[in-house]
Amino acid sequence: MAIVLDRLSKSFGAQNIVDQVSLEIERGELFVLLGASGSGKSTILRLIAGLTQPTSGRILLNGRDVTDLPPQQRGTGFVFQNYSIFRHMSVSDNIEFGMMVQKVPKPGREAKRDELLDLVGLTGLGDRYAHQLSGGQQQRVALARALAYEPNVLLLDEPFGALDVKIRERLRRTLKDIQGRLGVTTILVTHDQEEALNVADRIGIVEHGHLLEVDRPEALYARPRSLFAATFLGAGTVLVGRAHGGRAHFGDFSLPVPDDMLLTEGSRALVLFRPEHVVLSSEKPQSDLPLIGRGTIIGQNFAGAARRLQLRLPLLKSTRQIAPPLPFGEEGLLVEAVLPAEVGMDGQEVWVCLRGWHILNHPKPRLLLYDAGAGPATTLNIGKHLMDRLNASATVLGVTDESEAGLDLVAALRTQKEVDLSLAVKCLRYGLPAEQIACEYAEALYEMVVVAVDYEHKTQPERLRETVQGVLAMTNAAVLVVKKEPEKYRRMLICTATHEAGKNNVRVGGRLARRLGIPATLLHVASGSDSAMRFARNHLHLAAATLRAMDVSNNIHIRPAMNPVEGILAEAREGEYDLIVVGSHGPGSRPPFALEDITLQVLAEAQQPVLVIPAEEV
Amino acid sequence: MSPDIPDVSTAKTRPHSAIAPVGLLVLVLLPLLLMPLAAIFIFAFEGGLSTFITALSSPDAVFALRFSLFIAFATAAVNAVLGTFAAYILSKYRFPGERPLGIVVNLPVAIPTVVVGTSLLLLWGPIGLLGKFLGKFGLEPMFTPFGVLLAHLFVTFPYMLGSVKPVLDELETTYEEAAYTMGASRWQTFRYVILPALRGGLFTGTLLTFAHSLGEFGATVLVSGNLRLRTQTAPLYIFAQFEAGNVANANAVAAVLAVLSFIIFFFLLQYTGGQGRRA
Repeated sequence: MAIVLDRLSKSFGAQNIVDQVSLEIERGELFVLLGASGSGKSTILRLIAGLTQPTSGRILLNGRDVTDLPPQQRGTGFVFQNYSIFRHMSVSDNIEFGMMVQKVPKPGREAKRDELLDLVGLTGLGDRYAHQLSGGQQQRVALARALAYEPNVLLLDEPFGALDVKIRERLRRTLKDIQGRLGVTTILVTHDQEEALNVADRIGIVEHGHLLEVDRPEALYARPRSLFAATFLGAGTVLVGRAHGGRAHFGDFSLPVPDDMLLTEGSRALVLFRPEHVVLSSEKPQSDLPLIGRGTIIGQNFAGAARRLQLRLPLLKSTRQIAPPLPFGEEGLLVEAVLPAEVGMDGQEVWVCLRGWHILNHPKPRLLLYDAGAGPATTLNIGKHLMDRLNASATVLGVTDESEAGLDLVAALRTQKEVDLSLAVKCLRYGLPAEQIACEYAEALYEMVVVAVDYEHKTQPERLRETVQGVLAMTNAAVLVVKKEPEKYRRMLICTATHEAGKNNVRVGGRLARRLGIPATLLHVASGSDSAMRFARNHLHLAAATLRAMDVSNNIHIRPAMNPVEGILAEAREGEYDLIVVGSHGPGSRPPFALEDITLQVLAEAQQPVLVIPAEEV
Repeated sequence: MSPDIPDVSTAKTRPHSAIAPVGLLVLVLLPLLLMPLAAIFIFAFEGGLSTFITALSSPDAVFALRFSLFIAFATAAVNAVLGTFAAYILSKYRFPGERPLGIVVNLPVAIPTVVVGTSLLLLWGPIGLLGKFLGKFGLEPMFTPFGVLLAHLFVTFPYMLGSVKPVLDELETTYEEAAYTMGASRWQTFRYVILPALRGGLFTGTLLTFAHSLGEFGATVLVSGNLRLRTQTAPLYIFAQFEAGNVANANAVAAVLAVLSFIIFFFLLQYTGGQGRRA
């Protein structure tokens, strides 16, 4: 193995930039780390080069442990996005620099330099300076410079990011060609999926510091294991349905589940199909390809060799679309298809079949249960109940600022573990609750934070309010605040306003309603003017359509009231709801004249569990 | 367009329209800048070339000019090292108190030079805080060439820093990192990668330091004691000769200082102009 990363981690403060990354790369391989910006992929590269020190874990290059070595002794060739050509040196001096500081004699240096200039296609330009070269040429110099002293591994950090498309493609081919000829082990970091699919022997997908999946480009495209990989790499539609009798059902059509995939009866199943797998026909097809339905062509893009079509299909029963994300108010399925450009589609209505697809496992939702320490039974019960209903995994978090109280908390958490073993992950942190919840949330990406409060405990509401406020200000987590455990979750009240954040309430609240399998009421509290009412009605109709597309049965209600808080509380009482969904203003932005935020008032007054949705999409 | 309608659109750019404002500017600058400079040369050569040469070749004048040049070279050399070091630290390291330190190192530009001289005397002088103890060992830095150098280093420090730090700030760390991965040590990286990139800033900083040191008066007059043939710099010599009524002697040295300054200024303009064209 040329490169071995063993549980490599890097954190800055409380944030894990790289989290337990393990990876083995073979000699001569061209490996691509693919991820969005800020995913930690560049940090992994810097850790390998020694430009950043890992918090924990080991790095082996050609069998030698280099974890504690400075960059000078690792023998890596690094190419930066900004080229970093030394401006006061000629191209030749740049290429020879590494050999010069490593005391290679002059004749050898010159021979190697000429060979490299030839290799990267810059013969005769050795006397030029950086400002006399184009961006593409500068990057060729940087490549030659990094290869000059025959490094163990070649590391490229978004090397073609600053170049325009044509030059990028040429350089990609040059790189692949040179890499193949020299057989140097290479890692390339990029956010460009096309680049990754083009050059990689294998691709590793990085998200939030985790290495999610590693595979050959073809396999990763055709058979991704994670939802993230499925939607990040290439276009395609992802639907959620249910597994029954060895098949995954999406409304009226069903697909066989592969034998090696264990889907329990009734659990959720995901299907991914790419645009090129969608077959269109104007007559109802007689083949045995699975038929999704009859759709309308709503858009066409001509793209040279191919034509991309956007289709809208009627909703499938008990099925929800995850990707591409549906716009607010969209009720149908949106499917993309691709056809050769010369094939024209007559008419607007077509039959849509599939000739290829891939069934994915649905990830379990994760809950973060905050244990305030005082009422362990409450947290546990709520957690257990939600885990059962949502088929979720959970982490119980205890936070304390004193070490002695910490010991008590550890003891309390341990007793919990004895009560219910399925709450497997326990975690104890020291510090302020809100901050520590925010840290834990940022590190592991929970779907929801659950804060339970023991209502009998007199001192708690005040402290709790601070905690909830803090968590809302510091994270974009959905926070479920539970005062009293309802016997059963039966009805959900979603309070929604007519702005963007209000739409988010509907999406996130709807997701929970769907998982719980309960109906929801959409509530808008309006103060009376006709135009506001019209606006609200329109918004609620779109919201209802969005919920229907998520397979959540719902009704809408506009309640006239001067004070929104009173309106929400009165509705919650009268309608006997078990769960209230309200929005938060999000980090940092609170309305200037509100003495008391609506969200916090509802939290203080309502007896039911309240789910607070952040202003930004989770 | 018919010839009898004036062309309004080009009226602004007609050359003769610039004569009035430019003339006004020259008129204002004439008594402020140009005439005083001319006066030096007129007075210096009033008694003919021979008087000028005699005035310049007096031992005091020769010493003052040589001493000033020596101090200016020494100041520029020491501050080139010190300023670059300070700029490197302030630019590359993040530490608590970074901002206050950044302000303190630039303070000498803001403080009147006479105050700098006074403060140096109060520290190193015979009755100063440190000078008191140093005196017991026979060390008296004030009223010696070393004292003058000390004052000049203090006063000109920010010029070097101000020329070098912006260049370092602009220089991305990836250049250093590239050198490290190629096997270059910290020193090699500084020597071959960072220092050459600083050439421009160092050149400007050195010339600025040199020019300011050459003309420094306020701090020098206090810490030097104005001892002729020992610590008297050219500006002090000019002042002393003026006070003694030897205007011709003062003017001769003043003319030389002015010419030196012109030359430095010329190089600075050349260099910064060249930079502008390249960018």
